[in-house]
This record gives sequence, structure tokens and C-alpha cells, in this order.
Amino acid sequence: MKARRIAIFGYNHLSFELTKRLNRDAHEIIFADSDKDGLASAAAEGFNIMQIDYRSDDDLKKIGIGKDIDLIFCFFTEDCENVFLTLSARALAEDLEIISIVENPDAAEKLLSAGANKIINPYTICGRKIYERYKKPDISRIIEQTVFGRHDLHIAEVEIPKGSVLENMVASDYKLDEKYNLILIGVVDKELGEDLHFAIGIQQHKLDAGDILVVMGPSREIRAFKQDIEENHSDVI
Amino acid sequence: MLSRLLIYIAYFLKTSATYKRTKKFFYNLLENPQSRRKYYFDISMISLVMLSVFLLIYEVKTEANQVSFWFEHFVVTVFIIEYILRLWLHGNMHMIVIDYYEKTKYLNIPFRLHSVLFDIVSMKLAYIFSPVALIDLLAIFPSYRSIRILRIFLIFRLFKLFRYSKSIKIFAEVLASKRFELYTLALFLAFIVFIASTAIYLFENEPSGGQIQHLFDAIYWAIVTISTVGYGDITPQTTGGRFITLALILTGLGVLSFFTSIIVSAFGDKMLELRENRTYAELEKFRNFVIICGFGRVGQEIVLQMRKDRQNFVVIENDDKNATLARKQGILIIHGDASSNDTLRYAGIKRGAVAVICTTEDDVKNVYITLSSRRLNPKIMIISRANHKHNEKKLLQAGADHVIHPYETAALIAAEYIGQPVASEALQGILMEEKNILLDTVTVESGSLLHGMQIGDLNFARMKLSLVGVISSNSIHKKHRNQYKVHKQHFYFNPENHFTLQTGDILVLLGRNFSIDHFKDRVQKSLLTLDTIK
Repeated sequence: MKARRIAIFGYNHLSFELTKRLNRDAHEIIFADSDKDGLASAAAEGFNIMQIDYRSDDDLKKIGIGKDIDLIFCFFTEDCENVFLTLSARALAEDLEIISIVENPDAAEKLLSAGANKIINPYTICGRKIYERYKKPDISRIIEQTVFGRHDLHIAEVEIPKGSVLENMVASDYKLDEKYNLILIGVVDKELGEDLHFAIGIQQHKLDAGDILVVMGPSREIRAFKQDIEENHSDVI
Repeated sequence: MLSRLLIYIAYFLKTSATYKRTKKFFYNLLENPQSRRKYYFDISMISLVMLSVFLLIYEVKTEANQVSFWFEHFVVTVFIIEYILRLWLHGNMHMIVIDYYEKTKYLNIPFRLHSVLFDIVSMKLAYIFSPVALIDLLAIFPSYRSIRILRIFLIFRLFKLFRYSKSIKIFAEVLASKRFELYTLALFLAFIVFIASTAIYLFENEPSGGQIQHLFDAIYWAIVTISTVGYGDITPQTTGGRFITLALILTGLGVLSFFTSIIVSAFGDKMLELRENRTYAELEKFRNFVIICGFGRVGQEIVLQMRKDRQNFVVIENDDKNATLARKQGILIIHGDASSNDTLRYAGIKRGAVAVICTTEDDVKNVYITLSSRRLNPKIMIISRANHKHNEKKLLQAGADHVIHPYETAALIAAEYIGQPVASEALQGILMEEKNILLDTVTVESGSLLHGMQIGDLNFARMKLSLVGVISSNSIHKKHRNQYKVHKQHFYFNPENHFTLQTGDILVLLGRNFSIDHFKDRVQKSLLTLDTIK
């Protein structure tokens, strides 16, 4: 995963939990807020901070939006603040990735039309998680402690480079589980759009350069797989 | 001698398991409102009462035949047995004897048989003269054909319905709760009727040219007029009589409005109780349901998921706004405090509930609900929301099996999304079963044909399934690669072909819902052979 410059707006429970999950060595994280106390707490945790007025485009530019910021998290507690920030940031940077939280489910549509890429509703997620824990406690625990937890088991996406050995192959024929100890979850076949097609579906997908494989397995296996298909690619070049 | 025999019998009954069991059986049948048996018994008795009254109506114009004669005997026999059983269930005679005997021993005073018999008879008489017992008795007596006049009292059988129908009972309670207002109204009504009937008699008597012959006519006219029915068989002829009529009609309107408002307000007060009774009645029918404490944003999402899966549940909510919202959505709700033992008990924590989910925004409340639930049912699954990470440990200490932290969960998903949005969405899609693709588990049960099979022998690809891994606590598997410790067990990711399944192992499968269901069915039926799976 390439290093990114990330700006987090709003210092609260959620943003604090998020920073614990982000790799601080791999990404450059900056906290932006108008609240001095929140920023002081973030500074105490060792983060870069910047006191800005999110309503001002100049302040947003000052932080790097439209320049070198790749991703912003709109984590203000009020939906209207997040909508305003999303709208302003999208106007300044078309390619910027914007992830926002939503307090009231009705605001989700507004955030999406304002230009957010991903909406996170903590209450819906929590409700679903609780239900998942009730319905399938074993699976919920495994995913939490392996994929989301400390164990070295991940879900990753691997893009097929041009000239790769995988080109023109059917995904299931590659036997990832035997060759790399990986399980193929699904494929994004760019010919068919951006949707993920699960590997267990009836349709057999012929792979092309640019298609994305979603795999599950230990990180060393994912690394080895990525390396192999890239090496294959350089051989061809 | 008689006293000693009585004391012996009393102690014998106290220690007799058969006696206790029998009494409990009849208690559940006749009295216990939570019992299913009582529900069926009440339905049968309502049918019996209705049939016997229909028979009475039928016999008005038809000669009684042999069938109706035997049916009447059967009904009366059932009523008598029921009456005796209820009389027996009322209080414990042997405990009165034992209490009295122990008191006399302690105080060193003589045991007086008549004294203890007096206590027993008083207790039973108190029951016999209670309104419901009198109705029961009146339902039995009229069957003496020799006392024909008593036949009219057969109608009292309808009053027996009070016993069996909760709604009628509540209606009576509603009236009883407004006793004072109704007495006042009745007194006022009596006063008005008395004045009006006297006045109309004075103005409208026959010598004065009116139609009132005697005082009874006057009272009849006053009641017909004040109730706004006005048959018109007696009409005022004099000016004075007409003035009285006008005044009485206006008063009648006021009285009727007053009466209606009393009844409406009484029902308004009882409405919550009526709704709750409906909830409890519905809950009686449920088995394996979930108690959701709190109908806030998290609770609402859980309800949504449960409805999607047709899972039975009941919500406990204290907040008026949320409770109203739940009712509007037709959700089974108890409007009360989930931390109260009574509320949890009524919700069925000891009867039928399999899980308690605490979703309130207050961790203190969640801890308290968890603690109360664990105390009431040591085996129930408890899942709680922890709004602050540091309270997670307290919830686990209080007895929660699982604790979910909303901000941490949301942060995990946000962090996972960075750099690999497709993978993150795929995982969410699988976990939420959004595209009919799901992760599910199949347990290798004792005697199942899966037991002893090697992974390589199971052709999952042909069944359109993907084996993600195996969860096991069996140490025999420890030699295998890719093991991850997960809550006292090990998760073996992508197990090798020579991995041999043992009883208790859990297969984690990824696939479409119907592929998984099909596989589960085949395993469950235990009809499959090694060859059919291969």
C-alpha cells in the first residue's frame, strides 16, 4: 500500500479509534479542527495538527487539499458540518478520496451527492456487528481477530498488471489456494464494470490487465503472489 | 387423637413430592397466567360456557332432548370439579395446621383443634364469598331443574367469562378504577331522576290531564328521557310537564357526556397496560427469541436485521419517543426499564429468550442490564454495546459474552477501506449477506459422515463452495499450518488436503446461501455417504 497524506477533521472518539488502526509509519496524518482542546489532545498523541476554519477554502488549501492530500476523513459530529466540508473539498480536488461519518441516516444521501466516496454510519455498523455476533458468533470472532485483529490474515486486492501470466486465464483455474495458500474471494472484471463478482459464482471470468482480484490469506503469501505477477510482467516487458 | 392425625397428614403433605406436583399441575392449569396449559383451559371453558348458554336460548322454543340433557350434566360436572379444585388451590390448609402446631409447641400451649379448623374454614369461606367464586357457584345452581326460576340465573355463566378472558377482566378493572367518579355520577343521576319523576308526576298525573298513572310511570319516563332514548309512549301534555322535559333532556346530555368522558379517560389510563398485555400474550407464543434493550439508532438497526431474518424479538425501551416509534412500526415492545428484574422476567428472560442485547447509549445502564440478565439466567447469551473502550472489561466482568464498541468497529471499517476499497466492500458484503454470498459454519457432529473425512475428499468446488478454514479445539490438528488462536480454539485457514475432520470441528464455508443450505441439509440428514459427497 502506497504512503498517503491523510487529513482527519474533528478529534473525537471515532477519529481517535481510527488513528489506532492507521499505520502511522506508512501514512502522514494531520488533524484539522477549529476546536483548540481537541487539537491539543491530538498533539499530545504525537499527531501533526492545524487549527483551521473548515468553512474557508483558503484554510482547506493551506492544509493541502487540492495539492498533496490524498484522503480526508470528515469526522465532525454534526452532519451539516461534514456535508459542507465534503462539498468544499470536492470543489477543490476532484480526485480526493473523501470518507465521512453520518449521524442521521437521512444525511447519507446528501453526503454522497456532495461528493463523498464512502459513508460510515457508526450506529448502523455497530447494530449490524451486534447482530452478526448473535447470529454467527464463530465467524464474527474469526474475522474480528484475524482479518481486523492482530493475526496475520488479511483480505487484499491485487491488480493484474499488463503482460501478467494471469492475463486471459480464468481466475478459478489458477488454483491460488494450492499455489499460494490464498483463497480467491472475487474478481472485479473491468469489462463488466466496477462491481465485484464473487469467485463462487456461476460465471467464469477471463482475466485482463487492470482487473482486480480480491484474495484472503497471510500477508507473506499476498506479497509473494503480488511479486510473482509483477515479475512475470517485467519479464514480458 | 384427631389432632395428631391432622398434624401427621399436614407434615406428610408438606413433604410429599406427588402432592406438590399435583397441586402445581392444577395451579398451572387454573391460575398461573404464564402457563400455556391455562391458556388452553380458558379457551375450552369459554367454549363450554358459550355452548351451554346457546343451549339455553335454543331450549326457549324447542323441547329439550337427550343430547342437551347429557351435555348440561357434563357442563355442570366440569363446573363443579373446577369449583372444588379452585377451592382446594386457595391457600394451603396443611401449612395452617403446621404453623399453628409449631406455634403451640414453641409457646408450650395446648393444640386446640377447633381453633385450627376455624382458621381453615375462614380461609376457605373468604374464597367462597369472593365475587368470582360466587359467579362460579351461580353458574352451577340453576341446573337444578326443580327450581325453574333459577334457570334465569344460567345467564350468570356468561359472567364466568370474566375469569377466562383477560380483556373482559381489564374492562372490569377499568370500571373499578373509576369507582369514585361512577358513584358520584350514579348519585347525581338518582337525584335528578327522583326530582324529575316527582315533578312530572305532579304536573302530568291523570287528574291534571297527563298520561302518568302512578310513580313507577314517572320514574320510567324520567329514565327514558334522561338517557336520550325517548320512546314517546308517555309524552308531556301540560306546559309545566314540557318545561320539566326540556330541563331533563339537557341534563341527560350532560350526564351522558360525563359518563363517556369517565370511561374514555379510564381506558386512556389503562391503554399502556392493555398494550403491554398484548405484548406479553404475543411473547407467550414465542420460543427462541431475543430481548433487545433499547430502541435507539443501534437498536433500530438490529431490529431491521432481525426482521429481515424473521427472527423473533421483543424490545424494552424506556424513552417515550423511541417507544412510540417502535409501536408505530408494529414492533413488540415493553415500555419499561430494562434494568429492572421484573421487566426482564416479564420479557421472558427465564422462558424462551435465547439472548439479551444491550444497546443503550449509557454504559452504566448496559452494565446493570447485563448483570441483572446474567443473574436471572446464567446460560443466556448476552451481547452488549460499550460506548467507551475502558468499560469493555466491566461489561465482560458483569457477564457479557460479547462486547461491541461502535466507534472501534466503525474505525476498523474506515481503516480497512483505505487503499483497498474493493476488498473492504467485499468483506462487508459477505458479512452482511448482501449478495446472497455468505460465510457460514457447519459443525462436524458425532456420527456424522463428515467425521474422519479428509478435506481433499470433499469436493467443495463441485458444490460451488469455498472452504475458508476449520475452527477446532482438537489438539490432533496442531501439526497443521496456518493456525490462528481464536478464543480458546484454533482457526486453521485453508487447511491442507490431508486435514482429517474430527467431531466438534467447525467448517467455515464461503458460498451462495442455497449452496450452503444444500450442503447443510445433506450433512444433517446423515443420509449421505462418502461417495455422494465426493
